[in-house]
Amino acid sequence: MIIPLPHVLVVSAALFALGVFGALSRRNAIGILMSIELILNSANLNFIAFGRAWGTTDGAPQVLALIVIGIAAAGAVVGLALVLAIYRHRQTISADEIKLLKG
Amino acid sequence: MPQIVGPFELAAKAAFYIVAAGTLAGAWAAVAARNLFRAALGLAVALFGVAILYLFLEAEFLAVAQILVYVGAILTLLVFGVMLTSRIADPAVPRWNRQVWAALALAAVLGLGLAHLLAHAPWAVHADSAPVKLPVLGKTILSTYLLPFELLSVLLLGALVGAIFIARKDPE
Repeated sequence: MIIPLPHVLVVSAALFALGVFGALSRRNAIGILMSIELILNSANLNFIAFGRAWGTTDGAPQVLALIVIGIAAAGAVVGLALVLAIYRHRQTISADEIKLLKG
Repeated sequence: MPQIVGPFELAAKAAFYIVAAGTLAGAWAAVAARNLFRAALGLAVALFGVAILYLFLEAEFLAVAQILVYVGAILTLLVFGVMLTSRIADPAVPRWNRQVWAALALAAVLGLGLAHLLAHAPWAVHADSAPVKLPVLGKTILSTYLLPFELLSVLLLGALVGAIFIARKDPE
């Protein structure tokens, strides 16, 4: 491996922190979905970096990352469907204006 | 990949840091841009950058899958969602909620703490290990990890049906 492992991990940690910031601070529900995709990507990057550095021979980290990508796709599809349904009923997708269930 | 020495290794390292910086810049645009369409473009840059980082880690198949699934499918879907719902370019719509400063502080502490921790931990690194070949990867998916693979296809089918059911017009 050409790149030292900690450098990849620092990039992934920064990506994770940016995703957490976006998921906590965005008002727009689609913006929150985008931030969650960033978080999943940082997790995947960690999988691959560790798998490469520890010399796994069967490619298990890559399989796990592929499964994470698939689950992220499923999550994004359902999330966007929910956003569209909410927009149709309430004409807004701001997460702090949707408080039907708040007592 | 054969052992790279000398100026090539230096160039590869420099390329890695440039790509990493571009990825993080795209990620920042994705979480902070006022215009949601620009945020989607920033996300495209970030996802593409992560795909190139996979290439640096010699996971070629994953890089291609990342571009196909994320940049090709998920991002297109997100852009559709942006177009269909929001007043994307309206500067009167605030982009952040009231807890933005708390979120920024939390994310900064989390990011710096994690980076410090991960950079200084004594990882056991096997520097001379060979990258995983694609046939081996395919065999692993379809033997050891066959059950999660099939469960994932069921999950995708369920998500497809559920998304159509949720997003369709109410039959009045």
